[in-house]
Amino acid sequence: MTASQTDPILSLHDVTLALDGNAGRVEILHGISLELERGQTVGMIGPSGSGKSSLLMVMGGLERASSGSVMALGNDLSAMDEDALARFRRQHMGVVFQSFHLIPTMTALENVATPLELAGHADAFARAEAELEAVGLGHRTGHYPGQMSGGEQQRVALARAAAPRPDILLADEPTGNLDGATGQAIMDLLFGLRDRHGCTLVLVTHAPELAARCDRTIRLADGRLAQGQRTGSASAEAAE
Amino acid sequence: MSRYALAWRIARRELRGGLAGFRVFLACLALGVGAIAAVGSVRVSIEAGLTEQGAVLMGGDAKATFTYRFATEAERAWLESASERVSEIVDFRSMAVVQKPEGPPERGLTQVKAVDDAWPLYGAPELEPALDLATALDGQDGLPGAVMDPVLMGRLDLQPGDSFALGEQSFILMAALEREPDNAGGGFGLGPRTLVRTEDLAASGLIAPGTLFDTEYRLALPLGSDLDALETSAEAQFAESGLRWQDARAGAPGITEFVNRLGAFLVLVGIAGLAVGGVGVSAAVRAYLEGKVAVIATLKTLGAEGRTIFAAYMMQIGVLAAVGIVLGLALGATVPFLAAPFLQDRLPVPAIVSVYPGPLAEAALYGALTAFLFTLWPLARTEQVRAAALFRDISGGSRVLPRPIYLLVTALGLAALVGAAAWFSGTWYLALVSAAGILGALVLLVLAAAGIRVLSRKVARTRAVRGRPAVRLALGAVGGPSGEAASVVLSLGLGLSVLAAVGQIDWNLRSAIARDLPDVAPSYFMVDIQPDQLSGFLERLEGDPQVSRVDTAPMLRGVITRINGQPAAEVAGEHWVLQGDRGVTYAAQPDSRTTITSGTWWPEDYDGPPQISFAAEEGAEMGLSLGDEMTVNILGRDITGTVTSFRDVDFSTAGIGFILSMNPSALQAAPHTHIATIYAEEAAEAAILRDLAQAYPNITAIRVRDAIDRVAELLAGIAAAITYGALATLVTGVVVLIGAAAAGEKARVFEAAVLKTVGAVRGQVLAYFALRSALLGLAAGAVAMVAGGLGGWAVVTFIMNASFRFEPYSALGIVLGGVAMTTLAGLAFAWRPLAARPARVLRARE
Repeated sequence: MTASQTDPILSLHDVTLALDGNAGRVEILHGISLELERGQTVGMIGPSGSGKSSLLMVMGGLERASSGSVMALGNDLSAMDEDALARFRRQHMGVVFQSFHLIPTMTALENVATPLELAGHADAFARAEAELEAVGLGHRTGHYPGQMSGGEQQRVALARAAAPRPDILLADEPTGNLDGATGQAIMDLLFGLRDRHGCTLVLVTHAPELAARCDRTIRLADGRLAQGQRTGSASAEAAE
Repeated sequence: MSRYALAWRIARRELRGGLAGFRVFLACLALGVGAIAAVGSVRVSIEAGLTEQGAVLMGGDAKATFTYRFATEAERAWLESASERVSEIVDFRSMAVVQKPEGPPERGLTQVKAVDDAWPLYGAPELEPALDLATALDGQDGLPGAVMDPVLMGRLDLQPGDSFALGEQSFILMAALEREPDNAGGGFGLGPRTLVRTEDLAASGLIAPGTLFDTEYRLALPLGSDLDALETSAEAQFAESGLRWQDARAGAPGITEFVNRLGAFLVLVGIAGLAVGGVGVSAAVRAYLEGKVAVIATLKTLGAEGRTIFAAYMMQIGVLAAVGIVLGLALGATVPFLAAPFLQDRLPVPAIVSVYPGPLAEAALYGALTAFLFTLWPLARTEQVRAAALFRDISGGSRVLPRPIYLLVTALGLAALVGAAAWFSGTWYLALVSAAGILGALVLLVLAAAGIRVLSRKVARTRAVRGRPAVRLALGAVGGPSGEAASVVLSLGLGLSVLAAVGQIDWNLRSAIARDLPDVAPSYFMVDIQPDQLSGFLERLEGDPQVSRVDTAPMLRGVITRINGQPAAEVAGEHWVLQGDRGVTYAAQPDSRTTITSGTWWPEDYDGPPQISFAAEEGAEMGLSLGDEMTVNILGRDITGTVTSFRDVDFSTAGIGFILSMNPSALQAAPHTHIATIYAEEAAEAAILRDLAQAYPNITAIRVRDAIDRVAELLAGIAAAITYGALATLVTGVVVLIGAAAAGEKARVFEAAVLKTVGAVRGQVLAYFALRSALLGLAAGAVAMVAGGLGGWAVVTFIMNASFRFEPYSALGIVLGGVAMTTLAGLAFAWRPLAARPARVLRARE
């Protein structure tokens, strides 16, 4: 199935998520329905434990919804097996984590080149190098994550997520482990990348001022969209 | 409270965590200690059997041996006066000949033992059918009786009741000789045994003056006899007449020495295994202490000093090491009980299996020293953990060297380990060479691991692997900062290196024996050719177009008793030339193949005082020089000559080679025979043997190919024992490998999650893991191939003085084995990473 340019890029319908833990089954998301437009920037806020990151993982196909449907670019993620999801991500999605999650045995350049190689790009390394230049790390390509500061590692992670030119960029509290100034620089880079590539950005954050930079804000509480949240995609809402 | 009491309290509380994280630690130590304890226990069990059965094995409480002759009346009288009973046996090689109703007679080389009625003084032979020995040797139908090794019976197709001849005497075979009580002392024999009465050989023509035979006089001594006094007395009276004395305290010196040497060598291989285990022990302790950084930092925050913390963790590791060692000792003490049935068939006497404290203590000492050496540095790092670690990201720990005191203690520990190995093995040279070999191999492996990391990193960055993510990821991981390469190459490399070296040595020896040697070796070695038979003997061969060469030489046997008037052993120590009697020859001229290295050969017609030409290499080893005087006892008579030349003697071609040659007039009056080597086409061998044996029944023919097969069998047995030792090392290596793979599982789970997040499918992740493991195995195998090849080359070239050729097939097997083992270990721990959901893995690390 292919999506037209006017269709929502991401569409969730009545999504629930329940996980089995040591203390028994925990209900995390309850009946989430929403649609995101192509090119939109969306801030997702809410208190700790409200399900923001879980919702982001469901959107990225990293976590499978217990029920409901998740459509991305016209594809039903809930019907895909793990390998199909991986192939979908390599073509259409980039993910940035709070803890960077670079592979410690790879250099910065190799970390960035990996998704490009997996997607079969012949010029993976040239593009990875350009991407590292773009985040200001052209001089650190041969360094391992362990040899870099937190801010530098997160810039590598940004470059890695952006390098394949994804349609959707998912960022889970990307400044959560960084100091204020570094976090600000990372955010500038993130929004700069989004502006350059025109992808849809979903940003999970605790900071209202960051959410305010987005076209639209989604609030989550106890695994539900907060009262008054519209599931439609037509208008942007300002953060409070 | 003292520092150590406090440390012990901390240690006890920490030990409540149990042994869960120490499985690899315990397994490595237990396996290493167990292997050494098992080898030592088996060795002591065999030795105990040999000692207890010494008199049976030797055939008496003491024995006197003569070469070429019987005891003189005076000697016999002394032997009888010293003992309660004397048994005389005659031992020589001969051919058993069986006439066939059709076709040529069958001939087989046999080691004949001719006995008197007193034999055996101790023990009893086992015959099949179960006849009384006297009845069997009495014979029947007017023929004297004989019993024979079933192997030879099979070879000659003989059944009890058939007849055969030894020389010119016919015998009737009465029974198979299933077990000979005193067969262990004889050493390496080329022919299976035939047992007859000495008096029945009178007409055989085999025990004539000058023929090659040994006589042994076994003594049954009264209880409480002073063996030392008897030995002194025998040597004082008869040593220079060629009498050799031995008592039952070393009933089977050949076997005892062989078992000792092989045991010592296997213990050294076991120490190599322990060194491999040390790598695992060290990794386990490092991982444990890395998990304890927060605890250590907290203790420091609370005021604990570095030394208290070091002592606390040293005590914990000490307790765990003790557990590992005890497990190993239990394992090692059990093995001899399980191995006893397998040993039984290969030994002349039952091993006395028991729990022997000696070898267990030795193994425990090696285990404790190894555990100490390999845990000291990780433990020393606990002192470097600062309280601030609690507030910062904790990673790894400092890579700097520990304080100088720890370096010094490490050196002392290493010296103690090598010293202990040398002391227990009884051979400093072998222990030091082995220790240097193990250390050298470890250094080589560490360097190789570093080289492999650099190389992998470089290759990972080349264009050749771009677009092949699994290969690039695998190379990147091997070259990355994880330290995995060093751990795998070290753990697997040492075991594979030993195996590779054994493979190379074994193949080179086999090929030297089986292929290279027969090209130049004779077909037959003929002994006991009487002087009057020589011309007829040569006549048969010289006209044969398939015979390319015949060498003959007069053959006497003698014992070198004195050098420059001093007892020979005082001058040249225990050189092998002085151990027992040696072949002696005479010649007017050196033959065309002889190279005189120094001095001059006597004139052709020289008949002055005896002159000696001695083998150059052995002469140099014994410290001889031109002009030295040497006394040789031949047939009870002392002949003293002067060394006037040295010459090259090559023993490697199985041709005629005498250590000692004299001018003809010195020896030719003594009764003697000739030996000959015949170089002929293999197809002609049977006809030559048939003709010569028919014409000269007293001549014994030794087929060189058969002799070579026996030597090859013996070497194969030794190679197998060493291979088992190397396999024990490899098993430890595999345990370390599995430990490393298990320890890396968490990291693999994370990598798989990240890779899936950025778009890798499971097949790609699996290919990456498999390739990564295979590359490490390939590296370990390749390094082992080089290290094993170097080791093999050194042993073959310098110790065995043979030419070395690299054997590719076993080397390839080592490399493939390395790849298979790492890949299997890697894949065994790949399922969890593959199955894990990325979101959960990554969020758990947030």
